[in-house]
Amino acid sequence: MKIGYRQAFDKTFTITAGLSVFLMVMALVIILGPMLSRGSKAVFFRGTVEFRKMQLAIFNHGSSDQVQAETARVEKAREPVYELLENFQIGIDVELLTDKTREIYRELGQQLRQMDVDRETYAAIRAKAKDIRDTLSDILESTDKDYVNQGIEVILKLSDDPDFKNTVAEQFFPLARMYGENVKNIDLTQRDQYIAALEEVKDALRKLFGPLPGESTPPMPKDRYGATRWDTAQQSLHQLLWAQAWVETKPGESLEKISVRRDDPQKGQFAGTSLEPLFSLVENNLDDMLQPEFTIYWRYFLDDWVNSHYFGGVGSEIIGTLLLTLLSMMFAVPLGVISAAYLVECADENMVVKIIRTCVNTLAGVPSIVFGLFGLAFFVLFLFPRLNMPSKPCILSAALTLSILVLPVIIRASEEAIKSVPQTYKEASLSLGAGRFRTFVTVTLPAALPGILTGIILSLGRAAGETAPILFTGAVAMGPQPKSLFDGVKTLSYSSLDIATGDRLAMMAPHKQYGVIMTLIILVLCLNILAIIIRWRVAKKLRGY
Amino acid sequence: MEDNQPQEKPVTQMETQSPVMEKILPAIHIKMDNQKQVTSGTTQDKATCNRCGIISSKEFSFFYGNTCGVKNISMDIYPCMVTAIIGPSGCGKSTFLRSINRMNDLIPHTRAKGRLEVNGINVYDKRTNLVNLRQQVGMVFQKPNPFAKSIFDNVAYGPRLQGIRKKSDLESLVEQCLKDAAIWDEVKDNLNKSALALSGGQQQRLCIARALATRPKLLLMDEPCSALDPLATTRIEDLIEQLKKFYTIVIVTHNMQQAARVSEWTAFFCLGELIEYDKTTRLFTKPGKKQTEDYITGRFG
Ligand SMILES: Nc1ncnc2c1ncn2[C@@H]1O[C@H](COP(=O)(O)OP(=O)(O)OP(=O)(O)O)[C@@H](O)[C@H]1O
Ligand SMILES: [Mg+2]
Repeated sequence: MKIGYRQAFDKTFTITAGLSVFLMVMALVIILGPMLSRGSKAVFFRGTVEFRKMQLAIFNHGSSDQVQAETARVEKAREPVYELLENFQIGIDVELLTDKTREIYRELGQQLRQMDVDRETYAAIRAKAKDIRDTLSDILESTDKDYVNQGIEVILKLSDDPDFKNTVAEQFFPLARMYGENVKNIDLTQRDQYIAALEEVKDALRKLFGPLPGESTPPMPKDRYGATRWDTAQQSLHQLLWAQAWVETKPGESLEKISVRRDDPQKGQFAGTSLEPLFSLVENNLDDMLQPEFTIYWRYFLDDWVNSHYFGGVGSEIIGTLLLTLLSMMFAVPLGVISAAYLVECADENMVVKIIRTCVNTLAGVPSIVFGLFGLAFFVLFLFPRLNMPSKPCILSAALTLSILVLPVIIRASEEAIKSVPQTYKEASLSLGAGRFRTFVTVTLPAALPGILTGIILSLGRAAGETAPILFTGAVAMGPQPKSLFDGVKTLSYSSLDIATGDRLAMMAPHKQYGVIMTLIILVLCLNILAIIIRWRVAKKLRGY
Repeated sequence: MEDNQPQEKPVTQMETQSPVMEKILPAIHIKMDNQKQVTSGTTQDKATCNRCGIISSKEFSFFYGNTCGVKNISMDIYPCMVTAIIGPSGCGKSTFLRSINRMNDLIPHTRAKGRLEVNGINVYDKRTNLVNLRQQVGMVFQKPNPFAKSIFDNVAYGPRLQGIRKKSDLESLVEQCLKDAAIWDEVKDNLNKSALALSGGQQQRLCIARALATRPKLLLMDEPCSALDPLATTRIEDLIEQLKKFYTIVIVTHNMQQAARVSEWTAFFCLGELIEYDKTTRLFTKPGKKQTEDYITGRFG
C-alpha cells in the first residue's frame, strides 16, 4: 500500500514536471511562432515585377535586361486598363471638359486672328462658337439628361457648318459626342460621387501598378512602384474592386456599412458605365499585369532600408546591433569578471562586501529606462564634456550604458561560477607555488568559464534586445553607419520600436514591422547558439571526453 | 648542528640554482644521489638529535573559528626521513599537515598560534614568502585534485611556474615524474587526454607526479594510497623509499602496516593533540603511552 502511494506520487511528480516544461515550450511557441511566421513574410513572399523593378533601380540587384523585358510585357497587359480609364475619365470629369471647351474657344480666336479673316466673319464665327461653348458648358453643368441630349443634338447639328472647317472648333463635336455616349449610362445627379469613386479607383490602380501613364515621377520611392508583393497586390485589388457603401437594410433602422463590388450590375458604382469592364479585366488578368514569382529576399538581412523601411532590409540595423552589443560586452565582461573575482577571491566576507553584493543584486532589478536616463545624464551630459569629447548621444555612450545594465548579470553569474570551482583546484595550484593571481588566471578562470559564459549569454541577449537604455544615449532611427565611436547607431531594438509606433510609412508595411522583430529574435537566437556552442566546447574540454 | 651542516648544503644549492638545476636534471639526480649516500652515511645518528628538524613546531595550535584543529603540537621532523602521522579520523592530522605549507589559509576565520618553522623560516610570519615556501613544500592531498587540463599540462604546471619553457626539457621532466609516480605506462600514449578522465587512483598518482615535478625539498602526503589498489600502493611505497634519499616526506596514513613499512618516525595524534612521537620501530613495538598501544593494537575507542 505504501509503495503504491509512493509510486503514485512519483508518477504525479514526473507528470507535473513534464507538463510545466511542456507549458513553457508552448508559451514560447505561442509567443514567438506568430512573430516569426509574420516576420518571415519579409523574406519569403511572392514578388511582383514591381519588386524586381524596385530592386534594380534602388539596390541595383537583378538583371536589367530581364526586368526590361518583363516591364514591356506587363505594360502591354495593362494597356487596355488605362485606355478604359482614360475614356471614362473624359466623360465624367466635367471640370476637365469645361476647361477644354474654354480652351478650344480661346484657341479658335487666336487661329482666326492668324487666318486674317475679315471682322464680320470673325465676329460671326466667334459668336457661333460662343454659342456652342455656352451650350456645352450648360449641359456639362446640367443634371437633366433630356436637356443634355437636346443640347448635344443642337451642337452636333452644327458639325457640318462649313465655317468651322479646318478650325480648332471642330474639336467641339467629338467631345460633345463622346460626352453624350458616356452620359447615356450615367445618373447625372450623382456625378460628384462618380468623381470621388474614380479617384478611389485611380488610387487603387496606382497602388497596383505604380504611377498612371503621363503622371510625373513621384518624389517618394514608395509611390514610384506599384504593388511589389502579391499580398499587397491582393489588398489593392480588393480596394479596387469593392466600394464601401452605407445602405439601409431595413427601413427605419440605422444605416449599415457594406462592401459592394464597383461593377455589381445592380448596386455597383460603375454599373453600366464604360468603366465597368475594367474591374473584371484587372481581376482576371492581375497575374499577367504583375507577374508574381516566389521570391526569397535573403538580401533583406543585408540591404539598407529605403523610405522608412517601406522598401529594403535591415542590414544596417543588424550591423549596428552587433557593433553595439560587442562594444558593450567589451566593457562589461572584463569589468564584471574582475569584480566577481574580487568579490569572491580577494575580499573578506565583511560588511562592505555584503553591501556591494546587495547593490549588485538590486541593480539587476532596476528598470532599464533608469539606466537609459542615467546614461544620458552621466555619460553624455556629465562625463563626455569633461573629457573634451562631444556631448551628444553616440555609440560609445550607448555601449557604456548597456554594459552597466548587463554588469550585474555578469557579476552574479561569474561570482557563482568562480565560487563553484572546487577549493581543491586552488589548493593544488597554490601548493605548487603559484601566486593567487596566477592561480586565478590559469586554474580558477578556466574552470569557471562555462558559468561565466552562461552569464555572458544571458547578457548578450539582453544587450542586443534592450531599447530603453539606448533610447537617449545613442540609438538613431535613421542615418549613416557609425564611422567613429561618437556617431549614433541604428539598432534592431530601437528600429522595431520606431517603426511600430513612430513611423507612418512603416505602418503600411506590417511585414516589415514583423520582419525587424523576427530579425531581432533570430539574431539573439544566433548569438545565444554561438555562445552555447562555445560554452559546450569549453565544458567538453574541461570534462575531458 | 654539525651533522646538519653538510646535509643542508646540497638542498640549499638546489633551491638557489633551481632553474639551471632543472635543465640538467638527470645529471643532478645522479650527483645528488651520490651526495645523499655520502651524507646519509655520516648522519647515522641524526635521528637522535632532537633540535635539527627541517620542520620544527613549538606549541603550535590551529583553530577553525573557535574550534581547535590541533593544539600544542611540539615536534621536529628530520630531513631525508619518512615521518608517518597516524591517528583516528578527525584528530587533526590533515590540519597539521596543511598548516605546514599554509594551505589552511584558504579557509576563512582560521588562526594559528605558536611557532612552526620550515627550514628555519617561520611559516606563520607575515613576511613569509608563500610562493617560495610552497615551492619547497610539495603536497599530495587526501582527495585527488587534478586540474581540468591535459595530463601533460597537469604535471608541467609547476615547472612552468618556475620558468621552464623549453618543450624538450618539459617533456623529459614530465616523463620522469610520471615514471616516478608509477603511472607512466598507463598514460604515456595519451598525455593530451584530460586528467579528469582518469580513474581516482590514476588521478592520485598523477597528483603525486605533479607534486614531484616542482622538485620540492619536502613532500607532504595526505593519505596518498587511500584510493589505490594494493599494486599501486606497493609502487607508491617503493617510490617513497626511493624519494626519501633526497626528499623529506611526511605521510598521513590510516594503514598501520604502511606506516610501519615506510616510515622511520611515527607521530600519533589523538583529539588534536600529539600523543606520542618516536622512532617507528620503537613506537610500534614499545609504545610509551596507553592510548597509542590501544590504537595500534586496534582496541581504540
Ligand atoms: N574546513 C574546516 N572547517 C572547520 N573545521 C574543520 C575543517 N577541517 C577540519 N576541521 C575540524 O578539525 C578537526 C581535524 O580535522 P582534520 O581534517 O585535520 O582530521 P583528519 O585527522 O585529517 O581526519 P581524517 O583521517 O578523517 O582525514 C576535525 O575535528 C574537524 O572538525
Ligand atoms: Mg584528513
